[in-house]
Amino acid sequence: MISVQHLTKQYGKFTAVNDVSFDVKQGEVFAFLGPNGSGKTTTLKSIVGLCLPTHGTILVNGLDVRKRPKEAKNLISYLPQRVIFPETLTASEVVRFYGSIRNISRVAADEALANAGFNGFSDKPVNEFSGGMIQRLGMTVISLPDSPILLLDEPTANLDPQGVKQFRDFILQQKAKGKTIIFSTHLLAEAEQLADRVAIFVSGKLGALESIDDLRTTFLKTGTIEDLYLHYVGSSHYEK
Amino acid sequence: MNTMNLLLITRIARQELLVNIRNKWTIIFAVVFGVLIVGISYIGIVAEGFSGMQNFTRTSASMLNLVLYIVPLVSLIMGTLSFTGDRGTTELLFSQPVFRAEVLLGKVLGLFFSLTLSMVIGFVVAGGIISSVTGGEGLLQYAMFVILSLLLALVFLVVAVLIATTNNRTSRAFGISLFAWFFFVLFYDLIVLGVSLLFKGQTANIILFLSLFGNPVDMVRVASLIILDNVTIFGAAGAALLRFLGGSGLSITLLTGSLLLWIVIPLVISRRLLNKQDI
Repeated sequence: MISVQHLTKQYGKFTAVNDVSFDVKQGEVFAFLGPNGSGKTTTLKSIVGLCLPTHGTILVNGLDVRKRPKEAKNLISYLPQRVIFPETLTASEVVRFYGSIRNISRVAADEALANAGFNGFSDKPVNEFSGGMIQRLGMTVISLPDSPILLLDEPTANLDPQGVKQFRDFILQQKAKGKTIIFSTHLLAEAEQLADRVAIFVSGKLGALESIDDLRTTFLKTGTIEDLYLHYVGSSHYEK
Repeated sequence: MNTMNLLLITRIARQELLVNIRNKWTIIFAVVFGVLIVGISYIGIVAEGFSGMQNFTRTSASMLNLVLYIVPLVSLIMGTLSFTGDRGTTELLFSQPVFRAEVLLGKVLGLFFSLTLSMVIGFVVAGGIISSVTGGEGLLQYAMFVILSLLLALVFLVVAVLIATTNNRTSRAFGISLFAWFFFVLFYDLIVLGVSLLFKGQTANIILFLSLFGNPVDMVRVASLIILDNVTIFGAAGAALLRFLGGSGLSITLLTGSLLLWIVIPLVISRRLLNKQDI
C-alpha cells in the first residue's frame, strides 16, 4: 500500500532522514518509534507530500506522491502532531469544511460529529474546547472521508488517559475496517498494543524494522519493549 | 492532469472569508476605516458653507490619502498573518487532496473578500452621506475610486503572500512586510525624486515616468486623481505620465493593466516557491 524507497531529507547540511526504505502492507498497523528529531515526523510528512524528499521515492497504492499528489493524497488522511483549527470556527464548520474538500455532504459531516460525541458542542467555537476535544475533532476530520490510509503523528501526545483510551479504540476500529495505519509515538506500550510492525528511528535512520513479536524473540526473550527500544536508540543519543 | 478545481478554490476561499470576518483585527480595521471614511465625508459636508459643495469627486480626493496609507498596511498585515499562521492548521489543509496552488488562490480570494467587505461598508455609508447632500454627481468616479482602492488592497495582499512564502519565520515575514510598507508608501517617492534630480530634462521625465510603474501606491494615486479630475494636484510622476501618453483614457488603461501585473507576477512567483518548499 505504501512504499518508501531510499528516502533522504536534508535541511541544509542537516540530514533529517537518511536513506530510509520500508513497505507497509494493506491493512497493516505500523508504528514509528524514536526519540525527538529522529526523523519520524519528516517521514510521515513526506508520505503525505508536505515535505519534499531530497532523494528517494514514495509510492502510495502505486502513485508517486510527487508526480500525482492529489490522487495520492485522496487515499490518505493525515493528523498533524499539533492539530489546530481556526479558533473562531465552530466544530460543525470545521468538519463541514474538511468534508466539503472531499465532497462529503453536510449531513454526513454532521453525523460524523454526532457519532464522535460532539452533541451539544457542535455549534461552539473551537477556542472553547480542551486539548483533548480538539484532538478528538481532528480524529473526526480524518475519519470522515473513510480514506484507506491513516497517518497519525504522535496522536496521543496531548491526551489525558481517557483520550488515550479513545484513541486506542479508534485505531482498533479503523484496523477492523481494514485501514492501513501508520502512527508515530513515544509511548512504547501503545506501539506494543496496537502495531503489527514497528520501525525504530535513530538519528534519521531505521534502527529496526520488524514485528514486535519477532524483535522480542530475537533480542529480548525476557525483556520489555522499553529494553528493546533502548537497545536500538541507546543512551548515546540522549547524551548528545 | 494538473488542472485546478474551481469548486475547491471557492470552498477554501469561503472558509478563509469566514475565518477572517470573525477575526478581531478585521473587525477593528472595518470600524476604523469606516469611521475615518465617514468622518471625511461628514467633514466635507460641514465644510460646505466655507468652501463650497463637497461632492463625490472632492471628498474622494480627501479619502485618497487615507486609502493610500491604511490599505497597504492592513493588506500586508492580514496577508502575512494568514500565510504564516499556525502550522497545525496549514499542515492539515495542505494534506488534503488539493494542489498547493488551489490553497494559495483560495486563501488569497478569501482574504481579499474579507478586506473588500471591511472597506466597502465604509465606502457605502460615506457614499450615502455624500449623495444625501450633493446628489449623484460624481458617483461613477467615486465607484471607480473604490475599485482602485480594492485593487490596491489586492496588490499588497499578494505582495504579503510573496513575503510570507519566502520567509518561514513569522517575525521575519512581519518585519519585511513593515519594511515594504515604509518603502512603497514613504521612501519610494523620495528615492525617485532624488534620483531624478541627478538628471535633467527629458531623462528626468523618463525616470519619473518609468518610476510610476514600480510603485502600486503611486499608480493608484495617479489613476485616482485622473479619474477624479484633479490633475492640478498631480505629482511630478503623474504629470510626466499624462505628457507621455497624451490622454487620461490611455493612462488609466495603462495604470490598471500595470496594477493587474502587480497582482499576477507575485502570485505566479509565490505559486512556484510554494511548490518547491516544505509545508
